[in-house]
Amino acid sequence: MKPALTGREVDSFYHLSDVPMDHRCCRGTSCFAAKHLDGATWRKALEQSPPVYCLGKCYASPSTTETTGDPPVQFACSDPIVLAGVDAFDQQSLEGYCRHGGYSALEKARASAPEKTVAEVELSQLRGRGGAGFPAGRKWRSVFCESAVTKYVVANADEGDHGTYIDRFIMERVPHRLIEALALAGHAVGARKGYIYLRKEYPVAEAAVRKAMGEAESVLAGFEIELIIGQGSYVCGEETSLLNSIEHRRPEVRARPPYPTAHGLFNMPTLVNNVETLASIPWIVLHNGAAYAARGFSRSRGTKAVSLNSLFKRPGLYELEFGVPLRYILEELGGGLVSGDFKAAIVGGPLAGLIHPSEFDVPFGFEEMAAIGGAMGHGGIVAFDSNTRMLELLAHIFDFGAIESCGKCTPCRHGTRRAQQLFATAAYERHLSDEESRELRSILNALARTSLCGHGTGLAVFAESIFEKFAEEVAPCFS
Amino acid sequence: MFLVMINGKDHECSGGTILEALRALDIQVPTLCHDPRILPTGACRLCSVEIEGQERLVASCTTPVAQGMRIWTHSEKVEADRRTNLTLLARNYPAEECYDEHLEFHRYLRQYGIDLTRVGRIFKLAPATDEPRFTDFDHPYLRVDMDKCVHCYRCIRICNEVQGQFVWRAWNRGDRTEIRPDTGGPLLDSSCVSCGACADTCPSGAITDRLVVEKGAPTEWTRTTCAYCGTGCEMLVGTRGGEVIVAKPLLDAPVNKGHLCVKGRYAHRFAHAKDRITQPMIRRDGEWHEVSWPEVYLYIADRLHAILAESGPSAVGVLGSARATNEENYLAQKFARVVLGSNNIDCCARVCHAPSAAALKATLGTGAATNSFNDIEIAQGFLVAGANPTENHPIVGARIKQQVLKGAKLVVVDPRRTELARFADVHLQIRPGTNVPTFHAIAHALIESGAVDEEFIRERTDDFEGFRDFIRNWTPERVAPIAGVTAEDIRKAAAVYASVKPAMIFHGLGMTEHTQGTEGVQCLVNLALLTGNLGKPGSGENPLRGQNNVQGSAHMGCEPSNLAGYTPISQVADLVEKIWKAPVPREQGLTWMKMLDAASEGSLRALYAIGYDVYFSNPRSDETKKALEKLELVIVQDLFLNETAKAVGHVFLPACSSYEKDGTFMNSERRVQRVRQCIPLVGDSKSDWVILKELAATMGFKDAFDFDSPEAIWNEVRQVWKAGAGISYERIEHNGLQWPCLDEEHPGTTILHAKQFPIGVRANFSKIDYLPTPEVTTDEYPFILNTGRTLAQFNAGTMSMRTGNARIRPTDLLEMHPCDAMLLQIHDHEKVRITSRYGTAEIPVQLTDKVRRGELFATFHDPKVFTNRVTGGQRDRVVGSPEYKVTAVRVERLEQAAPAISKP
Repeated sequence: MKPALTGREVDSFYHLSDVPMDHRCCRGTSCFAAKHLDGATWRKALEQSPPVYCLGKCYASPSTTETTGDPPVQFACSDPIVLAGVDAFDQQSLEGYCRHGGYSALEKARASAPEKTVAEVELSQLRGRGGAGFPAGRKWRSVFCESAVTKYVVANADEGDHGTYIDRFIMERVPHRLIEALALAGHAVGARKGYIYLRKEYPVAEAAVRKAMGEAESVLAGFEIELIIGQGSYVCGEETSLLNSIEHRRPEVRARPPYPTAHGLFNMPTLVNNVETLASIPWIVLHNGAAYAARGFSRSRGTKAVSLNSLFKRPGLYELEFGVPLRYILEELGGGLVSGDFKAAIVGGPLAGLIHPSEFDVPFGFEEMAAIGGAMGHGGIVAFDSNTRMLELLAHIFDFGAIESCGKCTPCRHGTRRAQQLFATAAYERHLSDEESRELRSILNALARTSLCGHGTGLAVFAESIFEKFAEEVAPCFS
Repeated sequence: MFLVMINGKDHECSGGTILEALRALDIQVPTLCHDPRILPTGACRLCSVEIEGQERLVASCTTPVAQGMRIWTHSEKVEADRRTNLTLLARNYPAEECYDEHLEFHRYLRQYGIDLTRVGRIFKLAPATDEPRFTDFDHPYLRVDMDKCVHCYRCIRICNEVQGQFVWRAWNRGDRTEIRPDTGGPLLDSSCVSCGACADTCPSGAITDRLVVEKGAPTEWTRTTCAYCGTGCEMLVGTRGGEVIVAKPLLDAPVNKGHLCVKGRYAHRFAHAKDRITQPMIRRDGEWHEVSWPEVYLYIADRLHAILAESGPSAVGVLGSARATNEENYLAQKFARVVLGSNNIDCCARVCHAPSAAALKATLGTGAATNSFNDIEIAQGFLVAGANPTENHPIVGARIKQQVLKGAKLVVVDPRRTELARFADVHLQIRPGTNVPTFHAIAHALIESGAVDEEFIRERTDDFEGFRDFIRNWTPERVAPIAGVTAEDIRKAAAVYASVKPAMIFHGLGMTEHTQGTEGVQCLVNLALLTGNLGKPGSGENPLRGQNNVQGSAHMGCEPSNLAGYTPISQVADLVEKIWKAPVPREQGLTWMKMLDAASEGSLRALYAIGYDVYFSNPRSDETKKALEKLELVIVQDLFLNETAKAVGHVFLPACSSYEKDGTFMNSERRVQRVRQCIPLVGDSKSDWVILKELAATMGFKDAFDFDSPEAIWNEVRQVWKAGAGISYERIEHNGLQWPCLDEEHPGTTILHAKQFPIGVRANFSKIDYLPTPEVTTDEYPFILNTGRTLAQFNAGTMSMRTGNARIRPTDLLEMHPCDAMLLQIHDHEKVRITSRYGTAEIPVQLTDKVRRGELFATFHDPKVFTNRVTGGQRDRVVGSPEYKVTAVRVERLEQAAPAISKP
């Protein structure tokens, strides 16, 4: 009835619409941190237009679309949940997944009332693994309580935070866990249709999920899943942008309220969870919520997967229980850096504060990380060694920020680019003048205080954390 | 009520957003992306304010007020960030731009001490392409320079949320974001309807009014009412040095709420056209001679007196004008009745909505729209029959479209796939001339499925059983082959119309300009009665009147059988005679079509046509001309030497445009609104009322026409017309009033028939037999031609053809289905000859599947085409309106057909 209101102009928002995923060098932050290992590849990444941000091969940075090899997968906890099976290749097929007990959670849930599943998710105290850490049970309950006939569940597989490749390998190795979880979510909240929004940078995951979707049709009993491939846009990882993208609207952030749980996809109640969050669901259904909540610590319950970048002695994927010190992850699991001392680390993407080595004893948990100005984020960790200059890092992150800004609000549209220019000047050319320094400071303030969404705010927080924690290094560049 | 603290002071506010609260308290914060006509988006961030206890600032335009909020609108942080954000915008804006106080962006830059020439440009070119940003200097009205865009998206949002056209689109992202039309290219190639809403809202000069750029910004603004269609939009007309430059919509106008269309906003330049006649003229020996006003009055008086003396009052006729004010039409009919002693007075309602007025009067008791345009946003469903409002009543069309985009149901009954049909749940693309059986079948389906309002039928109608018996045979299956649609679709249309309450019916000339025009409208009324959609907000049966004051011209008494108030002469003649202090003739007067017959027979000898190009707009032009040629005196009162004057005129009286006079218009929804003089009279032209008054005086009726102002005339109208008695000029200084408005305390009437009909508590269903038009296709005339208006042109083209609209739509076009064209080997835009039983015309073809095979649609605005040479010989059986909508024609390529011209 409503004529198509959008067309080519929406496609033009995305930078990879017409770009094949081959012979592209990654311009992500992990590859930036490792650029001294392969200068030629990094230079190529800088030259290529459009850029590709994070191919999810951070364990082998600097990487390209042609980089092969797999990250080690290790368990730092007994009875792993989300990475179980990711360390092998025997659960990629429906048959293999079922052999390991796959789809028994769906069967169990369907045998009882949907609310039972919602209640178990609430009891589990599971929090969203996509960044915000919002209690999953509360979202599920909200959508469950909506009376609309049509509801949707959406798997956010737009894992764009640099240094993170957790969802990628869950989808590549155990794609049916995502599908089963999505069907479980649909059963619980009353949705007949689910979407998987997967980034184009993950072609292997796409193939695995597509194959699994075909195989799973018989067990899904009418629950329909549609796979949407992103066309290159970091902001689509934000849930309301993602919904706009599925609707083929310009993927700008929607003002909230209303929340997607009430007015989401096509204005219908919608549950959006990221892949890792969903991957915990079958275990919770099989073992019950209390068993999940018994693991972890403080307000961060259950297990968490983390991914370490290529500068570590032992890069790769780890599943652990919340509460261990960050230092344990970096030094014990990761084995420290190949080249020696840590200079700093980013946890969960660049839209939060940088972590200084003096802060590494922080317990790994949502509130605990936030307390030192950092974040849990996606759980991707990019460590930097002495090869990284903080001004270069700022110029790199702000270049990414400007390129990925949706452009809706003034400070982010123009401010990120201007800040990047000033950081690059300071990093590569000369000290900034008084006037330029004041300008930069005022832009960062405006970004922090007046941005429409977390993109601009997060960039400002990142810059501020460097000004604070690495004052000695950066201060002289600003007069 | 919320208690909040703003800048250290306690205030009470009633909720809404913080920005609304601030504006209500007259606390100014800068905004670029805000416009009250569209939803807030929170993009520019200039309106951000500090809330105590919150680390980040919040955008006041999207944040609701909450109890106990402590708000700081101009704290140090807030002002610093505003300056930073404005500076960022300034650094992406052309440095050479001069200060323009009309632009919000420029005012803020000045307010915050930001100098464009000093901040330094960051990017000069569009970063995505390294090409210059989008510009379009070729559109007749809009001037686009996206180098000045500040990315507030107001153009996109107003185009989507108010006009519903979706022309402006954001391309790319981040600081590479660029706003371009949907096609990416020039506006004239896009789906733009040139409504100008984007130019109206743009805060930075990226989209501006070309006329303002070329002629300079208006120096004076005058509130008045639009002179085009019957919607009745109020606007501010901007003038400079006695010239009309552009119009601005009024936010507080009840009809258009801050919106205008391409005609109302831009098509004013006809008032200053080079060929405007501003001196009276008399034709002697085929040549026009300029004369003085006294001379022309004496000449007319002599001639009329002579004819009256010889042949009596039945030998003269007067035509009022839908373009003229109520006051002028009132004087025109008074002139006919008092000065000439004749009821031979009519107006162009005869050829458009006389059937609507008659049908609504007969069935419900009031010959006008039952509801108001403000009901559109209440209605949950619409039935639009034989009307194309997005082109012909664009503001109504846009409002309906918005309501449908928000989820309201829509049934369109129209032989053409109009723009609204594309948004419809059901489109019944019926054959022209099959309205009566189609609506009978819908009525049948409503009763059959039980989708009727039983309580309403019981309380407010009579003889439902009789109607049910009558309609029993009108099954959708029987009607389907007659109307050329499926029975299933007819049932679906009934189901959709009845599925939501309230639902509103709008109809246009596609209902009335038929042999069964009046009866078709009566059938529509049946549907409203069956579903109880009368007398309630968001319901009713509403004709969309064609011209600004066609409702008013007939209502003021330019009607052979009725005096002011559309009241039969017999009912009010005694009262009127007391007020006029003159006798009211009782002999049956002639309708315009009958006058023409009388002229043909020689019994009508003189015609005084005010603002009405009868030769060009009447059907069967050749016959019309023959009849007019027999007249001994044809007085044409107009702005231009129109086709009537050129062909058969004897005397020309130069009238003035509605920008040059005061008075009132009456729109489609019975609203009387003020018209105000915006510019001085051009040349020696005069207002119609002045001409009528002076001519009457010359003819010996000084006292009866001794009015010193339009208001004085109006006050006499209020004495004559009871339902308008309460509408004083003072009361309609703003916003007008809808009649009935019985006295000065009466609030006016937005919805008719709430408790009862003027004819009683109950109304009757109309049981109407279907008598198909005798105008049928044959092998010789195999196509059915339908005619109508188009967005950028208006009726006889007298006004719109003399404006920039002529660039948007240069001439008339004949819409033809591509398959028909292929069989006839006709190419797109090739000029063809259409021939009917009545005449022939040459017209370029536009291939489109908007029309069905075997059907054609032509506009009639261009005298060079003269479409009405071809149109209908039939008339409505009740009120005699011509059947413009059904003419059998054939289409031929021209003998030496030029090779097909591709679209320019």
